[in-house]
Amino acid sequence: MGASGAGKSTLLGLANGAVLPSAGSVRVLGADPAALRGRALRELRARVGTVHQHLELVGQLRVVHNVNAGRLSSWPAWRSAWSLARPQGLPEVLDALGRVGLADRVFERTERLSGGQRQRVAVARVLVQRPELVLADEPASALDPLLAGRTLELLAGLAADRGGALVASLHDPVLALRHCTRVVGLVDGRITLDAPAASLTAGDLADFYGAPR
Amino acid sequence: MTTVLDRPPALRRVRARWGWGVGALALVLWSLAGAGAFAGEVVNPAGTAQFGRFAAAALSPALDGDFLRVLAGSVLVTVAYAALGAALAVLLGAVGAVALARTTWGRRRLGWTLARGALAVPRGLHEAVWGLLLVNLLGLDPWVGVLAIGIPYGAVTAKVFADLLDEVPRGAYDALLGAGAGRATAALYGLLPPASGGLLSYSFYRLECAVRSAVVLGLIGAGGLGYQLSLSFSSLRWAQVWSCVYALALLCLAADVGGRAVRRRVAAPRASGDRLRRDPSLSTAVAVVLVGVVWSWWYLAISPATLVSDRTGAQLRYVLSAAWPPDVDGPLLSAVGRAAVDTVQMSVIAIAVATVGAVLLAGLAARPAQASAGRRLVGAVVRLGLLLLRAVPPPVWALVLLFVLLPGVLPGALALGVYTLGVLGRLAAEATEELDPRPRAALTALGAGPVGGWLYGVLPAATGPVLAFALYRWEVAIRDTVLVGLLGAGGLGALLASRVAAFDWGAVTTVLAALVVLTAAVDLLSARARAALR
Repeated sequence: MGASGAGKSTLLGLANGAVLPSAGSVRVLGADPAALRGRALRELRARVGTVHQHLELVGQLRVVHNVNAGRLSSWPAWRSAWSLARPQGLPEVLDALGRVGLADRVFERTERLSGGQRQRVAVARVLVQRPELVLADEPASALDPLLAGRTLELLAGLAADRGGALVASLHDPVLALRHCTRVVGLVDGRITLDAPAASLTAGDLADFYGAPR
Repeated sequence: MTTVLDRPPALRRVRARWGWGVGALALVLWSLAGAGAFAGEVVNPAGTAQFGRFAAAALSPALDGDFLRVLAGSVLVTVAYAALGAALAVLLGAVGAVALARTTWGRRRLGWTLARGALAVPRGLHEAVWGLLLVNLLGLDPWVGVLAIGIPYGAVTAKVFADLLDEVPRGAYDALLGAGAGRATAALYGLLPPASGGLLSYSFYRLECAVRSAVVLGLIGAGGLGYQLSLSFSSLRWAQVWSCVYALALLCLAADVGGRAVRRRVAAPRASGDRLRRDPSLSTAVAVVLVGVVWSWWYLAISPATLVSDRTGAQLRYVLSAAWPPDVDGPLLSAVGRAAVDTVQMSVIAIAVATVGAVLLAGLAARPAQASAGRRLVGAVVRLGLLLLRAVPPPVWALVLLFVLLPGVLPGALALGVYTLGVLGRLAAEATEELDPRPRAALTALGAGPVGGWLYGVLPAATGPVLAFALYRWEVAIRDTVLVGLLGAGGLGALLASRVAAFDWGAVTTVLAALVVLTAAVDLLSARARAALR
C-alpha cells in the first residue's frame, strides 16, 4: 500500500523484470532477472504473471486473443500466428473467462468492453498463463466492491494452486485486510510498514495514509 | 460472477470489414493473374549478367571531375525547377484557396461544389502528363517543367489551403465581421493568423515533393538530374547511373530532413516573450527559399514572353480545336478500356507489394525507446534502404527490373511497388513508433518471444493506420502508374504517349478523360474503404 508515486508500480516492475535495478540486485523465484538472457529469461518471466490496470490489452484484438496472449511464452511462433486465424485452446479460454463472468464476450473486440470488463479480461489472461507468482497493480480500481473481492480471491487462489504468492498494490485498506496475509506500506520508495494483516486494523492503515511524508 | 454457457458463442466477423477484406484479396489475385504472374514466363535469365554488372557498379560510382561537374549542374537545374514549380503552386494555391473555401461561398453550396469539381482535372493528371502536353504547346522551354509541377501542385495546394482556412474556429472571424470589418479584413485578422503555421508547413512539404517531381520530369526530357540519369542509363554507363542515384538520394534526403525540420519548428514554436520577434531559423528558411526562387528564375533563363508569344497562342488554338470533340470510335474505346484495366492492375499489385513489405519492415525501421547497439544499427540500415527505395523514381526501378524480368505489366507494377514501399515503410515505421508501448511490454514481461510479442502486441494496433496509409498511397500510385506507363510499361500512360506522339489530339482528349475518371473513382473507393476501417 502507499500513496501514488510511493513506488508500488516500480516495485512490481522490479519483480517481473520490466524495470532493472540501478543498484543492488533482485531475486525472483530464486533467480536474478538481470543476470538471465534469452530463453532462460523468458522461462522465468513465464512463471510470473502480471495484471496491470487493463492497459496491457490490445483494443483491436478480440477478447479470446488477448486472453491467449498469456500463453505466448509456451507457444511456438507458428502456433501464435495460427491462433489469430483459428483461436487455439478455446476450452481453457472459455473456462478462464467463465471464472471472471465474461464467457459470452469471448469473440468481442476488446475495445468494445467497459473498463471493468477489460480489467477482468486482464485477469483471465493471467488465469490461462498459470504463473507461480502473481503481481497485480491496482487490480480492483475499476471494479465494484463485490467484484473486486472476487477478483482478489481468484488471483490469490491461482497463486496458491501453484504454490506461489499474490502480490497486489491496493488503495482500499478494507480489501487489503480482508484478502491479504501481509501488508507492506511504502513511502517515497521505502518500506515504512510491514506487518501481518491480522495484527492491523483499518484505523492503523488510515493512520498510515495520514502520516506526514 | 461466474458465467456458464451451454455452448461457446460463434466467432462472428464484422460483415463490412470482412467484405472489404475479401474484396481486396480478390482484387489483388485478379491483378496478379492479369499481369501474368501465374503464367510462368516472367523471369528473363539472359539479363542476370547485365544486372550483375549494374549491381557491382554500386560500389564504384563515377567520381571523375568532369562527370561530377555535369552532375552538379544537373542538381542545380533540378533544384531550380523544384523551387519555381513549388513557388507557382503556392501562388496558385493561395488564389485558388479563396475560390474554394467555404468561407467564400457561405451557403451557396452549388458554387462551392462546382469549384471543387473543377479541381479534379488538374489534380487527376500526373506532372509527367502535364509535361508531355505542355511540350507540345511550348516546345522545349523551361516553362514546361515549371508549369508541369505548378499546375497539378497548385490544384492540390488550393484544396489543402482552403481546408486549412475552413478548419480555423469561426469565433474571431465572426466577431470581426460583427464589429463592422469587411470580409477581407476579417479574414486577414481572424482566419489567416491561426492558419499561417499550417500554410507554411504545407508549402515546405510541397517544395519537398517538387524535388522528386523535378527529377521525374527530367526523365521525360526536361533536363536536370533525371535527364542525366536516363542518358547514363541508355548508354549503359552503370558507374554514372549510380552517381546519379546517390546524388538523387542525397537531394531527397536533404529535402526530407530540411522540410521535416521546418515543419517541426512550425508545429512547436519558440516562446518570443514580450518582444516582437520571429523565429530566426524559420525566417532564414523562408528567406533562403525566396532567394532560391529568384535565382532559379535567372538560372533557368525563364522569359514570360514565351507564354504570350503568337506562336504559343496559335499552337494552343490548333491543339484545342483538334482535341474537341473527343474521339469515341469503337477500337479506341476498347483500347482505352484494356489500358485502364492494366493501369488498375499495376497499381493494385504495387500497393499490395508495398503494404506487405512495409508491414514486415515497420518494426525494424521504427526507433525503439530503448535498444541494443546492434538493433540500432539494423534500424538505421533499414531506414537508409527505405530512403534509397523512395529516392529513385519508379521509372528507373522499372528499367532496373527489366534486366531480370520480361517486359510487360509486371515490371512496371513491381517498380512502383518498390518505390511505394520506400514511402509506406517510413509511414508504417512512424505509425509503429506512435503506438502505446505498454501492451508489447506486458507481453515481454510474461515471457512472449519477439515474434509472439509482435503478432499480439504490435500488428493488431498497427494494421489500421498502415492500411489507411496504403489506401491513401493507392490514390497516389494510380497517378504514378501513368508515369511508368508513359515510359513504356503499358496501361493508360503508354496509350497516352503513343497518341500524343501521333498528334491524335481527339484520342488524347479521350484518354485524358479516362484518366481523370479513373483517378476520381479510385479516390472515391479508397475513401470509402478507409471509412469502413475506422
